[in-house]
Amino acid sequence: MLFTQLFINGLQTGALYALIAAGFSLIFGMTRIFHAAHGATFTIAGYIFYECYSVLHLSWPIAALAATFAASVFGVLLDRFVYAIIQRHEGSFFTVFVASFGMAIIVQNLIAMIFERGAVTVSTPLSKSLEMLPGLYVAPIAAVVILCAVIFFMALQWLLTKTSMGIALRALGENPTLIEVYGLTPRLLSQYVFLIGSILVVPAAILTAATSGLNPAMGNHVMLISIAATIVGGVGSLRGAAMAGLILGMAENLCLSVIDPQWSEAVTFVILFLFILFRPGGVYGRAVVS
Amino acid sequence: MIAYLQNIAVLFCINAILALTLNFIMGYAGIFSLAHAIFFGVGAYATAYIAMHASDSLLLCMAASAAISAVLSMALALPALRVRGEYFVAASLGLQVIGVTIFSEWKSITGGLGGMIGIPRPKLWGYTFNDDTAFLGLALVVLGVVVAIIALLVRGSFGRSLMAIRDSESAAQTYGKHVNAIKTLSVAVAAGLAGVAGSLYAFYITFINVESFMLETSILLMAMVIIGGTGTLFGPIVGAALLMSLPAALTYLPFLPPTELGSIQQIIYGLAMVLLMMFRPGGLVGGRSKEKSA
Repeated sequence: MLFTQLFINGLQTGALYALIAAGFSLIFGMTRIFHAAHGATFTIAGYIFYECYSVLHLSWPIAALAATFAASVFGVLLDRFVYAIIQRHEGSFFTVFVASFGMAIIVQNLIAMIFERGAVTVSTPLSKSLEMLPGLYVAPIAAVVILCAVIFFMALQWLLTKTSMGIALRALGENPTLIEVYGLTPRLLSQYVFLIGSILVVPAAILTAATSGLNPAMGNHVMLISIAATIVGGVGSLRGAAMAGLILGMAENLCLSVIDPQWSEAVTFVILFLFILFRPGGVYGRAVVS
Repeated sequence: MIAYLQNIAVLFCINAILALTLNFIMGYAGIFSLAHAIFFGVGAYATAYIAMHASDSLLLCMAASAAISAVLSMALALPALRVRGEYFVAASLGLQVIGVTIFSEWKSITGGLGGMIGIPRPKLWGYTFNDDTAFLGLALVVLGVVVAIIALLVRGSFGRSLMAIRDSESAAQTYGKHVNAIKTLSVAVAAGLAGVAGSLYAFYITFINVESFMLETSILLMAMVIIGGTGTLFGPIVGAALLMSLPAALTYLPFLPPTELGSIQQIIYGLAMVLLMMFRPGGLVGGRSKEKSA
């Protein structure tokens, strides 16, 4: 029974991780920007939702819209006014990474100043666990999480394969110079990537707020998870990121049946470390030239 | 007041050593490690354990700390040999998280979350560094030695090989450089000297726990190197001095609410990182966009 319980928890965590990783993977795969501030986007979306829903008592669709709006504005402005300027004079990945990291630090501390430092939880009618079978507790929100993940991935898949913008975006990931020949502007496309990537993080942020709660420092964890899932899954492969998110969430929970809970975060990173050592291309990735 | 300044000066020496050694692999070898705090921690824990259980001899503890850190740095060198750029940053982040978990959970050696209390001050040739002024002298001497070692390595053929590898690995290999050996060695040197800094820290504070060796410390060190200027000898020292004096300076500004000082300080770091990367990626000391892409 413990195993079933952990399996269901793993499925829920994994679906959340998959959603988180998808946005990062999309941004990194298409624009090659190591967007460490992805965690900051997540925190902003989560806190805006909390403010609108639990403090101002607006209805949840309005709160979700506000969160989406805040996240996409943050992502697009960051791309437009920070990354674009850095890329204009040099493209070193580390320069962009440091700037992005600096941004994440700023957001984390601003949120800690505005909201209190402690954790906040959004309580919804769906968050309460029900006893499904004797000894097996599942909150209805787990189903919402999994459903959300499936819907968003299907939408994203459709966007990337069936629309001309999606095809242009994938071309951006393949060869940014070549797409200029076809009369497209990489900078404009990059903003679309950030828009989509930032929106993708919103459902995960809202659902995390409703399940395990938010705290200002959680952006770091989100960033670490999205980096791990993106690399384990294979850079540029959305399917890989989703799969890896699921694997990491599962591993983090299933390992609880063998070891103490304090070690569960380390398990994720041992998996990441082993992948980088032995298969840096990830599950679905192409070979990495070292 | 004097005691307060002395305290800052000792911590500055320790941070400057860490920034220098991090810059050695970041600026010269192009290995962007976000796990530097782990080697700092390994050195501190090694010294604490030896000083409390075996001997409080300064030289013995420092040498042991350096050796253990250098050996454990193979965990960082391994991915550095296989992958570059983003992948290595990810690997070092992973190592940082794993390291923190080990520090806080391996209770029999590290004392768990509570840490280790009551580390004795070190002895050197029968003299015990109980006096903080004497300890400042010791810290300055160690800092001087580290600067000398790094300057020597960087100016010599080893440094040129490192920079050649940073700029083009395949070209360096064509010229008959042993890329893997040089990379491994540079990581070991940086980690070993970071271990020395950890040893000093443990002896000075006489209490350590995992809080000092978290991701935040690694990021702070990275900020010191970057704000000062990567790939320059004195950049990291300037960066360390700036970032160490910032908290002290902020406490003198009366209009800031004292409870938010920590956050304001962090926001200033973050802002400095973003603005420098946008307008002066070479850092304060370094020239404009001198750095090559990884």
